[in-house]
Amino acid sequence: MLAKITTIILIVAILAFAWRRTLSFLRYFQQEEYNPTRFIAWIKSNRAFDTRGSLVLLLALIAHVIFPGSGASFLIALLSAATLLVVAYGIEGDPRTTGKIRLNMTERATKTAWVAYGMLAIVGALPLFGLCCSCSQESAPLTLTALCGIAIAQATPAALMLAAKILSPAEKRLQKYYYDDAKRILAEVNPFVIGITGSYGKTGAKAALGDLLTQTVGSTFWPKKSINTVMGITRTIRETMRPHHKYAVIEMGAYNIGSIKRLCEFTPPKAALVTAVGIMHLERFGSPENVYTAKSEIAEALPEHGILVCNGDSPNARRMAEQHKRGTNLLYGFDLSKGPLDCFATDISYDEHGTSFVIHYKGERFPGRTPLLGRPALSNALGAFTMACALGAQPAFAVACMGNLPPVDNRLVLDKGSRVSYLRDAYNSNPTGFEAALDVLKNLPAQRRILITPGMIELGDMQYEENKRLATMAASVCDRIYVVGTTNRDAILAGLAEANFPRTKTIIAETRDEAFNTLAEQSAEGDLVLIENDLGDLHEGKVRF
Amino acid sequence: MTQRKRTRVAVLFGGRSVEHEISVITALQLMQAIDPAVYEVTPVYIAPTGTWHTGNQLLERSFYAKVPANLNSLQEVTLLPKPGVRGLTKLSDNSTIPIDVFLPAFHGQYGEDGCIQGLFEMADVPYTGSNVVSSALTMNKYACKVFLKEHGVPVLPAQLITRSDAQKNIDGVVQKALSTEGFTTLPLFVKPCNLGSSIGISKVKEAHELAPALAKVFRFDTHALIEPCVNDIMEINCSVREHNGVHASVVEIPVSQSGVLSYEEKYLRGGGKKTGQSAGMASLTRVIDPQDLDPDIKNSVVEIATRSFTVLGCSGVARLDFIVDLATGKLYFNELNAFPGSCSFYLWVRSHPRVLYTTLIHNMIETALVHHATAASLDRNIGLKALRA
Repeated sequence: MLAKITTIILIVAILAFAWRRTLSFLRYFQQEEYNPTRFIAWIKSNRAFDTRGSLVLLLALIAHVIFPGSGASFLIALLSAATLLVVAYGIEGDPRTTGKIRLNMTERATKTAWVAYGMLAIVGALPLFGLCCSCSQESAPLTLTALCGIAIAQATPAALMLAAKILSPAEKRLQKYYYDDAKRILAEVNPFVIGITGSYGKTGAKAALGDLLTQTVGSTFWPKKSINTVMGITRTIRETMRPHHKYAVIEMGAYNIGSIKRLCEFTPPKAALVTAVGIMHLERFGSPENVYTAKSEIAEALPEHGILVCNGDSPNARRMAEQHKRGTNLLYGFDLSKGPLDCFATDISYDEHGTSFVIHYKGERFPGRTPLLGRPALSNALGAFTMACALGAQPAFAVACMGNLPPVDNRLVLDKGSRVSYLRDAYNSNPTGFEAALDVLKNLPAQRRILITPGMIELGDMQYEENKRLATMAASVCDRIYVVGTTNRDAILAGLAEANFPRTKTIIAETRDEAFNTLAEQSAEGDLVLIENDLGDLHEGKVRF
Repeated sequence: MTQRKRTRVAVLFGGRSVEHEISVITALQLMQAIDPAVYEVTPVYIAPTGTWHTGNQLLERSFYAKVPANLNSLQEVTLLPKPGVRGLTKLSDNSTIPIDVFLPAFHGQYGEDGCIQGLFEMADVPYTGSNVVSSALTMNKYACKVFLKEHGVPVLPAQLITRSDAQKNIDGVVQKALSTEGFTTLPLFVKPCNLGSSIGISKVKEAHELAPALAKVFRFDTHALIEPCVNDIMEINCSVREHNGVHASVVEIPVSQSGVLSYEEKYLRGGGKKTGQSAGMASLTRVIDPQDLDPDIKNSVVEIATRSFTVLGCSGVARLDFIVDLATGKLYFNELNAFPGSCSFYLWVRSHPRVLYTTLIHNMIETALVHHATAASLDRNIGLKALRA
């Protein structure tokens, strides 16, 4: 009897654990667009295999060998079950409600999850069938249950891929229907389509352009957040495109060569905005030249009389403009040393209400301001301004509208408090963004300037050097620096030492909470705190199962 | 003795206005105050998308936290612009929910500006509050000022700017605004012409801020109104209602923290507390019936408020907002809310004679029925002759 209860307790815990795990893996499977090749590559590169669940069950097995009695089994099962539940529901957050890119429970996700979980649950519940006949052998149920548990913990990604495969014919039919339906809506509404791509900045530029066009030239459709795939755009078109939409701003993500081309076939652009062609996601493309080729597909797709607006500060975006002559070719940016610019900004300064600037366009000066902070945000706004003007907006009015651009979540947002103010740059940090944030920190009024950061990640070979370089730069701006965690601690400390930053003003914290507690104790009136790359995100960068 | 049949009232609220939530708050208060012995209430919620729903769940404040997900649990209805239906039509089976009188509890566009009133007229049903013309005229701040000025009501100078003019030539528009007669100095107030509440309002302190302030208005409205800013200001509000004649309430002085009431201050401040539920206009920090106010000002406010309400042809309960330039002692009409937040009941319960919220609603409905009966008795002999000749 006790053996049966033991087995049932453990099975229930394993099944509950498996459900949460199915969702956790599904989040990344969804981000990889249910593509098995990309998902496997992601699992490999992140070593995203189950360790916690298997370890708990393995320990249970070992303990069971050492203490074979049925009373001991019961305790072992109880302890393992509790640990599994704590791991799945305590330590690991709900992928639907936590994290930077959450699991979106679409119809497809729900179906995939249930089919995969169904398969896992059958394996997990297998010992139940054995219960009746094997109750005489006291030890068999727990051993079998734990082994089945380990098997399903390891097989979760495979079950998801198999589920996707099983559902694929029906899914393809449904996708085809959605795709055609979106195509039909697009043909009926017939908006002027502007495609946006770039290695970074495209989401910010899309929001700025969508807003500016709506205010200056006409009602504009644009998918919110960073929706940039055929399926994502299909869904948004079906849900929110309306007959009054005169323009459509479509962000086009390049996942490999050909993906922008497919997007351009879906929503053929008459104009394109290229924010940057960098070397991000190099591992996906193989070489910088392939990145350029992939991004160039947007320019290739433009009609002869089309409009191509490129960021002149990015050498490869400039090259794209030179190699693709269209009806209108415009370059924007800050840096005139890289060549002529049709639209550029000077006299940039920051205050607590945003960024002031002077835009130079077609020989005229337009002083203005925007609530957005930092050069990357201003660069995006500048691209949006240039495109809006190319589409007929009156420059002076477009500049006035820049004064009301809505902020993009978590990208250098000033949170003003009565005593202490915070500059939050929680979005996945990169060297350009970090530099821009330091620049803003330097220029805003404050009694003391404080930096809290765990440093930047996912920079490959450059990680140590870049973190060290930015730390050196931060040393010249900050009065106090909180170094969070161990990931980049050495690099940051080396950078600070090189800049002779006083050791007494460097605070080393193991965790984000520790850093914030110390900060709260030591804060003073007039402090301005830059939170660069929130630790939550850093942890998320390193997935652990 | 048989029980008298209760009058069936549809309370309509929500709607496609930026003040959607405020309307829900007003309506929930109102439905609590309505006399259940006399009236049978049918709540009708118009979702932000414009669909109409009814069901008793709408009486619970907690219901609105989960909109739109839980709209499915309600009955979708509509009002057909067809005389003789005398009720709401269920979309599921075209059957009718009989209604005797409609009580629109909307703030802002589509509900307070003559739109829904037009639908009531088409359907030939009794409804509370102002009619089509009065509602439309009072919602358009510029038209209202021009109209009242004609009737000798003191108003501040104003300039109207259209979105399309600004899009074409913002510099020209700014020049035109700055050279408006009566705009002697900055700052200026720039606000949406057709919206209630305080959304989109800016105080322009320097000339170069005017263009972005206009651009901000044009996110919400096609017309912007520019007015001079009275620096040393006191606001005075007064409610006026129609019930066997026109009556004014006591006056109130709303207390503003930052010079101009923002949307948050007006509706989210919760009577000065930062947390807790908002009770809408009823919770704003204010001084009702201030005893130390100059009686001349008080009398002028009451006289002008009553006269304005009358010449605009308003009905139901309205609130008129005035400002006093403390430097000169001059009184100006600012705006009229055809259906004010919380129905201004907090002013009426302090008035002489005292009017309870329940009575206020009761009187509104009685008046609506009288107006409808009067309109029905008008000679509308449609001569079907021309086409038969």
